[in-house]
Amino acid sequence: MADLEQRNLEEVKDLSVKEAVEIIRQAGIVGAGGGGFPTYFKYARPLPHLIVNATESEPGYWGDKLVHKEHLEEFLQLFEAMKTIFEFEQITLAVHEKDREWYADYQEHADGVFDVRYVPDTYALGEEKTLVKHSTESRVPRFVDNPDGTRRPGMPPDVGKIVNNSESLLNIYNALFLGKPLTTKFFTVYGEEVDTKVYEVPIGASVSEVLGIAGLDVENSGHLTVLDGGPYLHDVAIAQLGKGDAYVRRMTNSLFVIAQGRQGKEYAEIKTKCPEEGIVSLVGEVSGVNVPLGGGLLTPATPLVSEGDEVEYEQKIGEPVDQGFSVGVWASLGGEISSLENGIVAIAGGAIPQEEAEAEAEPSMAGGSQPRGEGEPFQEAGSSRGSK
Amino acid sequence: MAYVITETCIGTKNTACVTACPVDCIYDAGEHFIINPAECIDCSMCMPECPVEAIYPGDEVPEYLQEYATKAAEFDYSGIAPGVEIN
Repeated sequence: MADLEQRNLEEVKDLSVKEAVEIIRQAGIVGAGGGGFPTYFKYARPLPHLIVNATESEPGYWGDKLVHKEHLEEFLQLFEAMKTIFEFEQITLAVHEKDREWYADYQEHADGVFDVRYVPDTYALGEEKTLVKHSTESRVPRFVDNPDGTRRPGMPPDVGKIVNNSESLLNIYNALFLGKPLTTKFFTVYGEEVDTKVYEVPIGASVSEVLGIAGLDVENSGHLTVLDGGPYLHDVAIAQLGKGDAYVRRMTNSLFVIAQGRQGKEYAEIKTKCPEEGIVSLVGEVSGVNVPLGGGLLTPATPLVSEGDEVEYEQKIGEPVDQGFSVGVWASLGGEISSLENGIVAIAGGAIPQEEAEAEAEPSMAGGSQPRGEGEPFQEAGSSRGSK
Repeated sequence: MAYVITETCIGTKNTACVTACPVDCIYDAGEHFIINPAECIDCSMCMPECPVEAIYPGDEVPEYLQEYATKAAEFDYSGIAPGVEIN
């Protein structure tokens, strides 16, 4: 049975490939690294080698490093289960040379099938082909001929590799072992006038509200721009802070605050300090969320709720459809469905005082922000292209 | 190991690679674009963008196109700015 429910290690190991893939699909897991590619599809056809991408690349990020530091046992259990379910011959944790010490605990658990490999510190955008090249003997072909005579760029599966983001794998653990669907995103908040933080935030939360919680005086910060991403790859989330809003996406890896008029790349040399408090959860701490049912690569899920309905946290609000790529969608906040328009489910929670909620979340709740490429694997890069 | 732009760029100069490059390391070398190996971060973003498949990883450049790797290594990038603007 492919239900989302708690399972111990043996029960997870007993899952068939088909069942595990369906759980991952129902749980709504998409690539957290920035691609937004539906994770279930990566595992539908088992391949010999799983490479876990722990090479957090954008300058200033801490999310993946903290996820690994705080969830060692979960990752090891998951790897153990995945060896059985998907019959992986090799599971590799790929980390930067400079992070050797940070991942020493993982190295201690290397057993041949699971290993830790170190790749050059050269910034490489988490690009999968480059990671395969640096961590294995294989080379993903530049281009591959399709049966219909067209050509497409090569991908890791062409050489028997699945590359998956660290946070996506933690989300798989949560689904397979805890029966928890995807409702949150881990990301770093950093940049001008804000202390570096790593938060676990409900998907669809207001960017302005999160920055307010992080200590920014949002209403009086019109001189700041907020990027969803890092110095190199990003979308502009809010061009002028205090005017308009955006919401946290399934592949938001950072809210990076820069001075208005400057380019993200000008901050490429930025150094940040790992937040001592580790990852701080904002679950239940935000006033509302806008949860997209699809977008980008994802065919919208069929809504299971209507305007005015009350939903619980982690209640299913969207059923995946059979056309194209589609995943289950779950409430990242308990509260009332305040609107359901353009494939976005807005939930008003009221976790913070009403006047504060109105001040900070109004643009978002009023549908003032549009979904920005949710689930589009290559559009992320397009954002920084647009800045040229 | 930087990426290398080769022969088929000549007469094409599509510019998609320039737009894709996150670190602005692609320059206009006249008849074709050229990647500065000192600045390339080996991310491969440019490679699938090229409509004429002119771009190779540095260690996969075919023998008959090696001159482009040599040219990229020896090219004088001082005094020109990256991108599609005419320098």
